[in-house]
Amino acid sequence: MSDEAVAAAGDASILRFDEGIPGFADARNFVLHDLTEDGVFQQMTCLEDPELAFVVLYPWLAFPDYSPELPESDQQALGITNPAEAVVFCSVLIDEEEGELFANLRAPFIAHARTLTARQVVLSDESLPMRAPLTQGT
Amino acid sequence: MLVLTRRIDESIVIGKQIVVTVLEVRGDQVRIGIKAPREIQVHREEVLRAIEAENAQAAGSAARTRQAVARMPQAARKRRVDPPGSV
Repeated sequence: MSDEAVAAAGDASILRFDEGIPGFADARNFVLHDLTEDGVFQQMTCLEDPELAFVVLYPWLAFPDYSPELPESDQQALGITNPAEAVVFCSVLIDEEEGELFANLRAPFIAHARTLTARQVVLSDESLPMRAPLTQGT
Repeated sequence: MLVLTRRIDESIVIGKQIVVTVLEVRGDQVRIGIKAPREIQVHREEVLRAIEAENAQAAGSAARTRQAVARMPQAARKRRVDPPGSV
């Protein structure tokens, strides 16, 4: 993301990960911007380290049955009392050899829609894959 | 590493707010209860390590992921339709 884009995002759209995220303990504040016109893919860029970015996915078009159950401790920490307050997106990575894209359904990023307090939540459903294939035959 | 011996229903207190209790021992499995403030995240270690590794790989390949996303045909991406009022 360019510096201009970061600056233009403004405070109102900064996601705050107060505990950092696993593997990146010092990464606290992120901004989102659309990678695709439809908003399905976004990039989440760290304000402390603009080199650090994740491609994230609004999961329900690719995975319509996805129903993450937010553990109570996470509900409390994020202040989410009903599902409408939760913004959910999943990290996407590419298999460098095959070129295939995968979404992490086990540990989505979840933010409170209004306060933008966010956390990478580890869901207790062990059947959810960390690598759910996103592209088939593309 | 500090090593303590505990019986079932006995606990260990860490700091002022974290209490770890042995609930059940069955064969080589131990059930443990953890009371901690909500800002303290508690994870199974191997799951946390796996997520750290996935995050590192996702961040490391973000540029290539972005290129692959840009190349995806629109039809494969479908359309996002937000309910009114959502972010």
